[in-house]
Amino acid sequence: MRNYENLVIVKPTLTAEEIQASIKEIEEVITANGGEIQATSQMGMRKLAYPINKNERGFYHVIYSSIAPSAISEIERRFRINEDLLRFVTIKYDTNREVAAFNAMVEKAKKDASAPAKTEETATAEEAPAAEAPATEAPAAE
Amino acid sequence: MSEKRKYKKRYCKYCEAKVDFMDYKDVGSLRFSLSERYKIMPRRLTGNCKRHQDMIAVVIKRARAAALVPYTVTRKQVVTAPFENLK
Repeated sequence: MRNYENLVIVKPTLTAEEIQASIKEIEEVITANGGEIQATSQMGMRKLAYPINKNERGFYHVIYSSIAPSAISEIERRFRINEDLLRFVTIKYDTNREVAAFNAMVEKAKKDASAPAKTEETATAEEAPAAEAPATEAPAAE
Repeated sequence: MSEKRKYKKRYCKYCEAKVDFMDYKDVGSLRFSLSERYKIMPRRLTGNCKRHQDMIAVVIKRARAAALVPYTVTRKQVVTAPFENLK
C-alpha cells in the first residue's frame, strides 16, 4: 500500500446533490479497488485557470488514500470513463519527506472536516449573499 | 578584499524558510516563482537553489494540470493584476 492523493474536478453544470452523488461514486471506485480513504477535503466550486471542455468553473475535491500501486491504473481507467469528471490528478507520496507531508495534510483535512460543523451556519449565511451577488453581476457581463 | 562584489548576493528564499515540501494546491505560494504570464521564473532571476527550483518546477506543472495555474496567457487574457485570482 502506498499513499496517493486524487484531485478530481467535477462538472459545474450538475446540481449540488448530483455533485455529492458523483463524488461518492468516485470514492466508491477507490474503495472497491482495495483503497483506504484516509481523509477528503472539498475545495469547492472555483474558477478554472483555463476552460476545460468549455467549462469555466469546476468543483474541486481532494481524496487522500492509501492504495495498492497496481490498482491505480484500474482506478484511473474508471475515472476516464466517468463523464462527470472534467479532470483528475493522481499524486504519489513515496519518500519519507513526502509521506510526512502527506500525513500532515491528512491531519489538516480531518481537522477542517470536523471544524466546519461549527462554522457551517456562518458559512451558509455568507454563501447566501455571495450567491446573489454573481447572479446580479452575470446579466451585466453578458 | 580588493575586488568588490558587483551584485547583491543572491540567496534561496526557500532554503531560508526551510521548505521541505511544496503543495501544488497552495497556489498563493507559487507566485514567487511565476512570471506575470505564468511562466516558471529562471533560477538566475529568483536566486533559488537547484534543489528548490526542481521542486517548484514539478509543483507548478502539477498545478497546471489541475487547472489551478494557466499554461499560457494570451494577449486577450493579460490583466493588470495577474495574481488576483490566485488565492
